[in-house]
Amino acid sequence: MKSELVSRQKKQSTASITKWVLIGSALSFLGIFILVPLIAVFTEALKKGVELYFLALTEPEALSAIKLTMITAAIAVPLNTLFGLIAAWAITKFEFKGKNMLITLIDIPFAVSPVIAGLVFVLLFGAQGVFGPLLAAYNIKIIFAVPGIVIATIFITFPFVVRELIPIMQEQGSEEELAALTLGASGWQMFRKVTLPNIKWGVLYGVILCNARAMGEFGAVSVVSGHIRGLTNTLPLHVEILYNEYNFTAAFACASLLAILALFTLFLKTIVEKAGG
Amino acid sequence: MSIVLKGLSKTFGQFPAVKKVELEIPTGDFVALLGPSGSGKTTLLRLIAGLEGPNSGEILFNGEDFTAKSVKERKVGFVFQHYALFKHMTIFDNIAFGLKVRPRKHRPSKEAINSKVEELLKLVQLEGLGERYPSQLSGGQRQRVALARALAVEPEVLLLDEPFGALDAKVRQELRGWLRELHQKLNITTVFVTHDQEEAMEMADTVVVMNNGRIEQTGSPENVYENPVTPFVYSFLGRVNEFRGNSLENYTPYGVDKPFSDKEVGYIRPHEIGLSRTFVNNSYPAEVSHVNKVGAAVRIELRRLDTDDLFEAELSAEKYNIMGGLKRGDQLFAEFQNLVIFNGNTLRNSEFELPPSNLVLRPEEVRS
Ligand SMILES: Nc1ncnc2c1ncn2[C@@H]1O[C@H](COP(=O)(O)OP(=O)(O)O)[C@@H](O)[C@H]1O
Ligand SMILES: [Mg+2]
Repeated sequence: MKSELVSRQKKQSTASITKWVLIGSALSFLGIFILVPLIAVFTEALKKGVELYFLALTEPEALSAIKLTMITAAIAVPLNTLFGLIAAWAITKFEFKGKNMLITLIDIPFAVSPVIAGLVFVLLFGAQGVFGPLLAAYNIKIIFAVPGIVIATIFITFPFVVRELIPIMQEQGSEEELAALTLGASGWQMFRKVTLPNIKWGVLYGVILCNARAMGEFGAVSVVSGHIRGLTNTLPLHVEILYNEYNFTAAFACASLLAILALFTLFLKTIVEKAGG
Repeated sequence: MSIVLKGLSKTFGQFPAVKKVELEIPTGDFVALLGPSGSGKTTLLRLIAGLEGPNSGEILFNGEDFTAKSVKERKVGFVFQHYALFKHMTIFDNIAFGLKVRPRKHRPSKEAINSKVEELLKLVQLEGLGERYPSQLSGGQRQRVALARALAVEPEVLLLDEPFGALDAKVRQELRGWLRELHQKLNITTVFVTHDQEEAMEMADTVVVMNNGRIEQTGSPENVYENPVTPFVYSFLGRVNEFRGNSLENYTPYGVDKPFSDKEVGYIRPHEIGLSRTFVNNSYPAEVSHVNKVGAAVRIELRRLDTDDLFEAELSAEKYNIMGGLKRGDQLFAEFQNLVIFNGNTLRNSEFELPPSNLVLRPEEVRS
């Protein structure tokens, strides 16, 4: 009896040691790789005082980078939300040949290195690219210009909304929609009154992640941008330039904006997760 | 509204789910589509509603060809197996949906919609629950909301897919009676799907028995129960004893001119088997192996002493008492006068020469 009790106590204490070791390593991992860098960004940014910090953010080149980043996101996010809705609808509500193929294609932006993605666009739309002569004839500039940045960003952020919606829509099936049709709803009424309310939290979640990536994308944008100051620099590219010029305070000040964006995204994401249940 | 289906077929990929179905449903009829799971009942119902398109065949509503019409144009009320209520809307909004989505010039006023919904809530006995959400209701209540929602648009046909399938036995029983009454009150042509023969028999005016995508038999509940035209209908509607092949010779009192093949199966319902304590003409000795006395009928399992076949007989409690009670090991004489023999899907009884009925001695006192 007694020895059994002792061995059980022993087992329990081993279990609790395991527990604390696991929790401890997870927390220290998070601390080293996430918390410390985050703090470093802000301390570096504010090292030379608040005044310099705001100066770095308000100088014309920084402002133009912020503006371009916002414009890019403002185009890429709504388009990908629309594409995402259409693609998720097609995949979950219809049976068609090549459906599995389409699901695989959707993942390509996640699977391919962003740099490769950028290069592909250069090969397509660049001066020596497939469509190069055609674009030149009409005097349209895509690579090393804003359209290229927008296209690359759309490509990179395409999967976020679709990926979020497919499982939700699959789980819900189409019975509610069919019920709406039997009650006399038109296709649009069905979408607006039945489908959309059921997936709205999923859409919002996808949009938040899509936006975070659209504003933060570096690799693909870096290849197609050409780094023209005040013209084709997004915020992440601007950070890189400042850093390469040993302008650390300004670089970290701009980086801190991206960090704030990340924190804000996490905050929104948590709220949406809670609200969506 | 009357419904006519002509040679209706539906194939999913290579799989034929509904095969050349012919069916006429007169206005106001209350029809059960009865069959085992996978027999194509839901598919047939969805074809009628326009939720699926047929590969071939025609669908007529009131004599008019509706085969190519959209779901919306058909104006049928459809109640889904799992209700398909709009989760994010209140009960009130669920019921009002069909009225609110009408084009502006046909849309009733807000007051008219309100009073219509209230009226429907009353009809389905859910007064005062309009502000709740579907998740706050019980299964039986949800089912009634689904029905009220379908009725709101005043359909001329009501289609219900396994309306009580997901409910527990007691609620199911209540709702059956209630739906039956509702049909009498509104007299809408109604088609419901069920795999439960008891439910079909109890509720429907017309039973359509389906198997493997085909209609096996259509008729009144009495008719399909008493005169099944295929072995499937025999075995699907109620309890039945099956006797096969050569041992069948031991069951027919008529003498057989040709021997039975393996394809031949004889069917007789437990209550059609005559039992008596003494030998009568054309009866065979059997031993009681089990007696089950639950309810108004007594079920008796027996074994034939000459062939060792096991079978089940049923007596009313009254007849059972007249016989003086039975117990395991009792020896009785059983008689299989009503045995019906099928060769494949064709009835074979007509091939036998029936003896003049006055020559057959019936053990009347024990027949149930
Ligand atoms: N959308 C579909 N795709 C493929 N097969 C289907 C589909 N719907 C039904 N089936 C098949 O058709 C047959 C009949 O189905 P169903 O009409 O649902 O039968 P029941 O309602 O009688 O159980 C089943 O074998 C089922 O697997
Ligand atoms: Mg079904």
